[in-house]
Amino acid sequence: MFNTWTWISWLVASLIAVSTTRNPAYLILIFLCISLVNQEQRRKAKLGVDESLRIFPIDPFRLSLFIILISSLVNATLSHFGETVLFYLPIWIPYIGGAITLEAIVYGAINGLILSCIFSAFITINQALPVSNLIRLIPRAFHPVALVTSIAVTFVPVSLRQFNQIREAQAVRGHQVRGLSSWLPLLLPLLIGGLERAFSLAEAMTARGFVSGQPVVSELYTRLALAGGLFFTFAGWLLHLSGRGFVWGSVLMIIGLVAILGTLWIVSRQSLRTTYTRVSWSKRDLFVTGLSMMVAAAFLLPIPGIETNTLRYNPYPSLSLPPFDPLIGILILGLLAPLLNPRPSDQVTQL
Amino acid sequence: MNLRAQTSSFTSLIVYTLTTGLGLLSLFYPFFYLPVIHPAYGSQPRLGEMPLMLTLVLGLCLLVLIYEVQGQASNAKLIALLGILVAINSILRFAEVAFPGPGGFTPIFFLITLTGYVFGGRFGFLMGAMTLFVSALITGGVGPWLPSQMFTAGWVGMSAPLTRILIRPAKRGTRLEIIVLAAFSAIWGILYGAIMNLWTWPFLTGPAQLYWSPEAGALVAFQRYLAYYLVTSLVWDLAGAIGNIALMLFFGSPTLRTLRRFQNRFTFHYQLSDSDHSRPPMSSPVQME
Repeated sequence: MFNTWTWISWLVASLIAVSTTRNPAYLILIFLCISLVNQEQRRKAKLGVDESLRIFPIDPFRLSLFIILISSLVNATLSHFGETVLFYLPIWIPYIGGAITLEAIVYGAINGLILSCIFSAFITINQALPVSNLIRLIPRAFHPVALVTSIAVTFVPVSLRQFNQIREAQAVRGHQVRGLSSWLPLLLPLLIGGLERAFSLAEAMTARGFVSGQPVVSELYTRLALAGGLFFTFAGWLLHLSGRGFVWGSVLMIIGLVAILGTLWIVSRQSLRTTYTRVSWSKRDLFVTGLSMMVAAAFLLPIPGIETNTLRYNPYPSLSLPPFDPLIGILILGLLAPLLNPRPSDQVTQL
Repeated sequence: MNLRAQTSSFTSLIVYTLTTGLGLLSLFYPFFYLPVIHPAYGSQPRLGEMPLMLTLVLGLCLLVLIYEVQGQASNAKLIALLGILVAINSILRFAEVAFPGPGGFTPIFFLITLTGYVFGGRFGFLMGAMTLFVSALITGGVGPWLPSQMFTAGWVGMSAPLTRILIRPAKRGTRLEIIVLAAFSAIWGILYGAIMNLWTWPFLTGPAQLYWSPEAGALVAFQRYLAYYLVTSLVWDLAGAIGNIALMLFFGSPTLRTLRRFQNRFTFHYQLSDSDHSRPPMSSPVQME
């Protein structure tokens, strides 16, 4: 299994690539790369190669094809722009009446392709990372939230078991589920049982020393830094959107981000956390992360030799072949890096 | 109230106002930011980055707001209570994903509303946001849509205590209380859908009178969104609102009694021994206003 941050870097690279281009040639390539990685995860999960992998009932590849189809159909019937008219729907039909154009179909397909890439990338991450790894991503500054999440995730199967016990006990007493009100004898004991467990848990936590009694109020400077950071981020975004201050907008956004993340980092350092297992970085982790960063850089930075103009594409008013820079194409293939299987020996666990 | 406490309350108010305001602006940007788009710059290149920017800004607002709210939830009783209630609500979400109800019906807002109403707005916010977060972890629903879902579900719980304005203490435990809460959850049944739709609306294309375009003013954009919502989503969300009303009418009263009974039970005090008299008493009722 790869390091959690390796997967996160792969996800970020995929999202940056998808959100910075509308060129269908690149988008198809990105979609195929993400789908291949996803299918490999599903294959491993089905074979039971890695027990930490989860499998989802919906195949993201099929779901993506459905999304692309629906998006094309909806756009074709609702948007009547474009020069290549395929046929006409009767004009008296409200909203969808008019010319059905090839350009509208392609535009809809591009939208569907972007959505599919985003969905598939997130489904891949959800499959590849166990819930415990996702919880571990919660910063230390949010330790109460992390603790609540851990308790909730731990108690979900317990509560499910309790629900089944209540259902069986009520069935023995002759209870049958008929209509909404018949759910009350099932749900109320579940709630009461859960609250009783919360009571016991709180006492156990208190007995083990987890109690402050007084609310921990964040320091004044922390609050001001967070509020200021938010203000700068949003002001920068507005400037960015207006097109009147791209540079200043970016500067403000960076200041805001640094203020928020820096403050949370400082607060995190003040919170102690005991780590029982530590997953180290393997060479393959570094390789996959490096490739992912290269893909992100190719789409974000003005690198000499890369034709960033080819990232743009608009099928309107008349359809044309999308431009293609082979260098960008090769770099996109970097998203296939998670297909490299990490050796079991690469995963070092220290106690 | 001393100066330190006053300053703390004031900065807390600033953080709440700023995060909620910016969160609203981020979600409602089709109605607000349009006049500042420079015609020469064009809107198309900026549209591509919208989902990521929206997720970023909303995610940051959510981080800051949760950080502020969690400061009040750092005792064992609140954490245990919240964890268990979120687990129960996540099971309801899990059941909804496995066996979808009619239209936009989801049972999760029932407990979010009631816990917000009984335990206070901050607890309600955490309950809403954490329910969506934990259920996303379990069902594999982590994605760019999650911050908006968490934020909006958090608002449901945070705004629930507002219903107390209509329910005097003498009227608590009566039918009026349940009717007011049912009406509140019905309103959120529709509002939740309307707010979530705003996330995708600017990216859809179609007839001008239904869809967003950058050059439309705030009022025109609102009229178009209203028409779009009536045509595409109202019936779907009405099913959610009706479901919320039914849940509140059938289960509201016994659930409220249970939550109130446990609220009293959770207000326990630690008895100090004789040797501990120099320390301040440790007590904290489960109430997060």
